[in-house]
Amino acid sequence: MAESIVVLVNKPPYGTEEAFAGLRLSLAMLVSGVVGRSTCILIGDGTMNAVASQDPEVIEMPSNVEAVTDLEDFEGEVYCVEEDFKGRLDGAEVIPNVQMISWERAREIIKEHDLVTTF
Amino acid sequence: MGTLIIQIRSGTMMNMDVNVMVKLAEAAVEKGHDVKIFGYGEGIMAIKEGQEPKRFPNVGKSLEELAKKGVETSVCETCAYARGVKRGEEIEGASVGSLTNNLSVMVSEGDRMITLAR
Repeated sequence: MAESIVVLVNKPPYGTEEAFAGLRLSLAMLVSGVVGRSTCILIGDGTMNAVASQDPEVIEMPSNVEAVTDLEDFEGEVYCVEEDFKGRLDGAEVIPNVQMISWERAREIIKEHDLVTTF
Repeated sequence: MGTLIIQIRSGTMMNMDVNVMVKLAEAAVEKGHDVKIFGYGEGIMAIKEGQEPKRFPNVGKSLEELAKKGVETSVCETCAYARGVKRGEEIEGASVGSLTNNLSVMVSEGDRMITLAR
């Protein structure tokens, strides 16, 4: 019986639907009220989902910024591995509810959860 | 015995993810485990009725057989409707459900989750 799930997002925000789908899955777990803890960790190219200045209207796609911020409404935790982010987008403004963490901390958070899925 | 959740996000053709899903489910059931399958994204196609692949395994038929052995299969409604698959077009023993109502319950009952995706 699982009480928690961690969603690892390693895909960039646009070009594929994967990251959006992962963020929405995490939100749905929280909305359901059935799963006690649902956490997102942005890793690798997935760290680009943390960029605040995304403007997907130009490509007529749903916003991954909204998908990240919606999690805050349900007290969903969103983490971003800082070294992966800095290697790609050092200096970019980050969505306020995203917390930067180290890989070491990411591994600890993953261990705290019962189930893991990757997008 | 435990409960295995398989999250499938690949379609029924062009790669073998759904075939691996079927084999995993069959093996787990054979060992006495409960298996629950959730289709998300392209993975919803596995429950579409009327699949007639030539020369390749029929995933729909396999899922119908697994359903008779107690395997629960559900898919994301939003993903299904986005792809033109409507409720009522699913194979016997499967359902068009949702992340919030179906996957969340599967997760709460699960001991392990395997994700099959590209």
